[in-house]
Amino acid sequence: MKNSERVSRSRIFYFSVFFFFLLLFGYLFFVLQDLVLPVLMGMFVAYISHPGINYLRRKGIPKGIAILILLGAVSFLIFFLGQRVVSAIPSEKEALELRIQLQYKMNKNFLTFLGKDDFSSEGNIIDDVVGDELIQMFETWNSFLAFDENDVKEFQSYIDSSLVSKRVLHFYTDNLKYEILPTPEVEVGKLSDSLFPLVEKVKPSSRISVFLNAISTWIILPFVFIFLLIDEGEIKNYFLSIVPNRYFEMTFATFANVDEAIGNYLRGTLLQSSLVGMTIFIGLVLIGFQIQAAILIGIVAGVSNAIPFLGPVIGLITGILYAIIVEGIDPILPFIPDNPVVGVLVVVLIAQFLDNTVFQPLVLGKAVNLHPLVVVIGVTGGSIVGGFWGMLLAIPTIVVFKVVISTLYNQAKEYYIIY
Amino acid sequence: MAEEVTNKSLWKESTKNLWKDYSTELVANKHQTLVDILKKIPLFRTLGKRELKTISRFAHERVFETNEYVFRTGQPGAAMFIIKEGEVKIVKEISDKENLEIVKLSPGNIFGELALLDSSPRSAGALASMPTKVIAIFREELNKLLDSHPEIGGKIMLHLAIITGKRLKDTTTQLIELENEMHLLKEKINEK
Repeated sequence: MKNSERVSRSRIFYFSVFFFFLLLFGYLFFVLQDLVLPVLMGMFVAYISHPGINYLRRKGIPKGIAILILLGAVSFLIFFLGQRVVSAIPSEKEALELRIQLQYKMNKNFLTFLGKDDFSSEGNIIDDVVGDELIQMFETWNSFLAFDENDVKEFQSYIDSSLVSKRVLHFYTDNLKYEILPTPEVEVGKLSDSLFPLVEKVKPSSRISVFLNAISTWIILPFVFIFLLIDEGEIKNYFLSIVPNRYFEMTFATFANVDEAIGNYLRGTLLQSSLVGMTIFIGLVLIGFQIQAAILIGIVAGVSNAIPFLGPVIGLITGILYAIIVEGIDPILPFIPDNPVVGVLVVVLIAQFLDNTVFQPLVLGKAVNLHPLVVVIGVTGGSIVGGFWGMLLAIPTIVVFKVVISTLYNQAKEYYIIY
Repeated sequence: MAEEVTNKSLWKESTKNLWKDYSTELVANKHQTLVDILKKIPLFRTLGKRELKTISRFAHERVFETNEYVFRTGQPGAAMFIIKEGEVKIVKEISDKENLEIVKLSPGNIFGELALLDSSPRSAGALASMPTKVIAIFREELNKLLDSHPEIGGKIMLHLAIITGKRLKDTTTQLIELENEMHLLKEKINEK
């Protein structure tokens, strides 16, 4: 009797503690949501660095120095890529010029595609069949790029100060054929819901402001990285010490299995994304893109490649948008077509072909399989909850849950906890 | 006033020292005890103090009450156990309430060591016959040790192979003895 009372009391205690911590964790997650991404990234970098630390230790390097070496390598990589990315973010004037250039080139290419001289003239067979529908779709795209009254006022000031080249001025006057939109009224709070919150929240006029905004929350990343690497299993041991005897071996085995499965999945995905990004970078350099642009598009394509189905499209669109506005493309190899849009298409197709036939089977191997429907719902749900980052983190989150639940279920059965 | 300040700082200093001594002793004791216990285990006998300290970092101490199972027959093996205090019975579970005792183990003995090789089901159960403290060492952590400190992991694996080989020889000898006894018994029955 006494024993059963003790058991029920301890159950109530464990349940209350669990419920309290769940509430606390939920509240902290909500309040500190800006820190979630840097902390997750720090954990991710530490996680994938573990084999590196073990390799250095096998070579006889003490753990402290091995951590410093890895921290140095990661910092160098972030600094190098960050510098390239920040320098590639256009200033306000450059952004306006890019929009002018993109709108002009898109109009020109679209009219050539339909075989028209202007929107009122007769076109080719495509124009006869689906011309009206295509023009309607094109108008929607155009409205994203078209200047509003504010943009016109701002760009006029650059023209007055003679800061605009003749070529861009020519594009600008040509674009003025289209209507100028009224300035949209934007609610302040809504900006963060956009696809690229960081880029839109901070005006791209000041590169320093982009840097400072990022550093304020991301400063936590190296700390998470260092402390997780210094940890010799103390965190895990603490959790194990509070587990009742009956579940002790099962909990440890679950920890170990989950650790292995998630580690393999994350390292595999990272390697796969890096290989895709690298292939696209090399391909773009071969078709004559500037190295800086090729790096940026390679990074975007590589990172977004982690998003199933949609990722390759994001990489393709980024590459094609750049290909439309870029001028003076000079392919390194003679047999490569001069048209950069075709070039980007071929490069992305080759990268996707290699990804599906070589990288994935080689790198991911027996990784976690998800049903395509789960992937589609996960990515869509992720985009609703957290925009671009939500899409990116949706699948790893689902994989973590799937591995934890299936491993826990299997282990509980093997240890006769459930039947 | 000055005296009060001196008293305060003295009290602060002594509390600090007391805590410092206590915490140092606590840490030293924990490691010393673990290292001392590990040193007595044949599996770790060839390891030096520093190597044993590395192992003690992933040695998990657990307390079991009387008649509490450490593990049961058929469960997948994940860890080897060393008895620190108390007593453990290795049992063959006949039914939910009945057990056949195979052997009684005392402090310093190890059991479930085959789990360090693979996760095949336990061939017998382990039951604490009095309040018992054990130290658990997991296969996965030993595998990680093989990765980060191959020299330590290699020594442990070699000794594990020696112990397993010796037990296999003992089992074979026991089997031969049993067979001989059965043969003698059969002869006696035939004579009668």
